[in-house]
Amino acid sequence: MTLAFDALATIDSPLARIDPRWKLAALASSLVAASLLRDSRMVAVLLAFSMGLVLAARFTRKFLLTRLGAVLLFFAPFAIILPIQNGVTGFYSAITLTARALSIIFLALALVATSPFADVVKAAQAIGVPSLLTRIALLSYRYVFLLADDFARMRTSIIARGFRNRTNRHSYSTIGRVTGTLFVRSAERAERVAHAMACRGFDGRCRAMNGFHTRLFDIVFCVAITAVAAILVISDRLIQ
Amino acid sequence: MSNDGDLSVVGLTFSYPGSAPALRGVTFEIAAGEVVGLIGPNGAGKTTLFLCLAGVLPVRDGRLSVCGLNPALPDERRKLPLHVGVVFQNSDDQLFNATVFDDVAFGPLNLGLSPDEVRSRVTESLATVGLSGFEPRVPFHLAGGEKRRVALAGVLAMRPSVLFLDEPTVFLDPRGRRELLSLLTKIPGTKMIATHDLEFVLATCTRVLLLESGKVVADGQTRAILADAELMDAHGLEVPPSLK
Repeated sequence: MTLAFDALATIDSPLARIDPRWKLAALASSLVAASLLRDSRMVAVLLAFSMGLVLAARFTRKFLLTRLGAVLLFFAPFAIILPIQNGVTGFYSAITLTARALSIIFLALALVATSPFADVVKAAQAIGVPSLLTRIALLSYRYVFLLADDFARMRTSIIARGFRNRTNRHSYSTIGRVTGTLFVRSAERAERVAHAMACRGFDGRCRAMNGFHTRLFDIVFCVAITAVAAILVISDRLIQ
Repeated sequence: MSNDGDLSVVGLTFSYPGSAPALRGVTFEIAAGEVVGLIGPNGAGKTTLFLCLAGVLPVRDGRLSVCGLNPALPDERRKLPLHVGVVFQNSDDQLFNATVFDDVAFGPLNLGLSPDEVRSRVTESLATVGLSGFEPRVPFHLAGGEKRRVALAGVLAMRPSVLFLDEPTVFLDPRGRRELLSLLTKIPGTKMIATHDLEFVLATCTRVLLLESGKVVADGQTRAILADAELMDAHGLEVPPSLK
């Protein structure tokens, strides 16, 4: 079991040293810009900029390629269908759509995955995200790995009893039952976790120690990202 | 509080919705500082009893007093975490933060303590369980015995006067069990230990409650109860090897 983001956050990089609160603020402004851009050239500039941030984050090649592969796989149908339907215009739309999606993924990775997940959650709470949401995010992140462990154990158990995944009714019903059992176990575990939290005085409010320290560079970084985002949006509007 | 550490349970009955009663008229008293073993077959109601005493499950039938507080009353139930700590059977249910520090700090933060006091309690609790320096570690990557000790540290950081331990030796290897045994003897306060590990009960508890089908069927000195072959056999248990 590995905490994927936390393993990445141990990579020393200029981005990893920035206060996560300022990184989240920068992410918010850059995502707004990514969603507002219409001109494909401006989207291309944003993509180049986000790739620069990813380079600064010093992620491993394997990590990046697997994420890129997943995103490209998701957008592959659009890249095929849009040009067939709309010719050259559709082709440009498909390119713009994919570039925008990649920009968003790169920005999110560079600005979120360069801090330990717990710090990101605390930072989100510190900048005003409701504690209910941050707590749900933290618990989901925590327990998805336990569920994966449960699933791996159940999979080993059914394989040990001769199960082979084939394209037949028996395989599908077995997978269905395993998934159902996993959900039941999740519900039971959720109840036990709730009991454990109640025993330690949890009353629904998320309290965290804020150990963040803002440096001048953090502010400059956030302002710079926001300025780039604003310039892109203004340029996009002027071109239109 | 003058009666901190005392427990008094009279006629406690509890049922889960749509099920037969899990506890039926449970009655006992425990004085401050006593270490009591809670034994019985699976499904006897041991965990349910702990959850009722800790104020997690709503009690309607019976009179309870835990450290002078009545878990049935919402105002008093809210104060229970200040006095009562529960170490759960599966440490994974109890460890839900991303670092050991955050997990141990979870309880003290909920008590509204200052950041300095929280840090001091975390350091002290981790030192007590022999895990100083583990603060930045990820709890889910620890060994079973270490997880158990982090879970215990999280409870000790709240400085409870009553400690409920649910199957504390399960998932532990012999070394982890030995370390836990030595640790528990050093921790002051009232302790109730629910377990199937009767040798552990023999080593830690002065008194034993035998629970079956939600009823207390025996209450007495540890050796006297555990050595009673007829009683043990009648309730699906065995005399521990060291008493044979």
